[in-house]
Amino acid sequence: MASMHAVLFISFLLFSVGVAGVLIRRNVLIILMCVELMLNAANLNLVAFARNSGTVAGQAFALLVMGLAAAEVTIGLALVVALYRKKDTIQVDQINLLKG
Amino acid sequence: MDPLLAVIGNHMFHIFGLLAVVGALALVFSRNAIHSIVGFLLSMLAVAGCYLTLSAEFLAVAQLLIYAGGIVVLFLFVVMLVEMTKFKEKTLFQKQAKWAVAAVLAGAVVILSVFWSTWFGPGAAQALTLEGNLGEGLDVAGQNAQAVSRGLFAGYLLPFEILSVILLVALVGAVVLAKTERA
Repeated sequence: MASMHAVLFISFLLFSVGVAGVLIRRNVLIILMCVELMLNAANLNLVAFARNSGTVAGQAFALLVMGLAAAEVTIGLALVVALYRKKDTIQVDQINLLKG
Repeated sequence: MDPLLAVIGNHMFHIFGLLAVVGALALVFSRNAIHSIVGFLLSMLAVAGCYLTLSAEFLAVAQLLIYAGGIVVLFLFVVMLVEMTKFKEKTLFQKQAKWAVAAVLAGAVVILSVFWSTWFGPGAAQALTLEGNLGEGLDVAGQNAQAVSRGLFAGYLLPFEILSVILLVALVGAVVLAKTERA
């Protein structure tokens, strides 16, 4: 049986890798996937605490987060496609329309 | 039972967790976008396995359907749409990558110190354990879907309805954003 510490530690590792990916990669698609990774780390925590407290609220909330993540990734990918049509690139450091 | 199988069964969560972290690392550090997506898929499958070991069966199946079935395929479609080969990523990382990694490591050290104190400090005496029973007289192992649906529809009906509106907005928004303009 997994201990609470193990769950929290794995979730912490997943979240750290997600943050690092968002900060260092140039590709928009990879950045979106890293955001999904962070949401999953938070979900893992929610499920673990639901299990620990003996209530079901955490699992219900994780389900809501999953639906929200699906909506977010749909909009994000539509934005990526629109951006690619307009600017012909998906590297974030080349998307500098607002630069003075 | 075979003792080896018993040991493996006790460490199922650790195996799945390690797989998830390995997939995440492959996602961040691979040069090819398709390899990144395979890493993402591995990570999501492993997280579904983690849910199973935490006896959240309904969430595990939902994770498989939504992430492994839906979102990964969406990412694959977009990667095929945008012709990654055109970019030939010579520089994979941003210019500020060093500083970003340093910042993440600093935050990680802070959180790890909290972990350290809860593992070995005075608070370690009452270690958290996972409780087997979950929710309102329902048995987790046998009736997980019933327990989750009761929690969702009894306590969180309004967020659920708001989520459905958000999904509708995302649907319309994605169609409008990705539509080609025909003059």
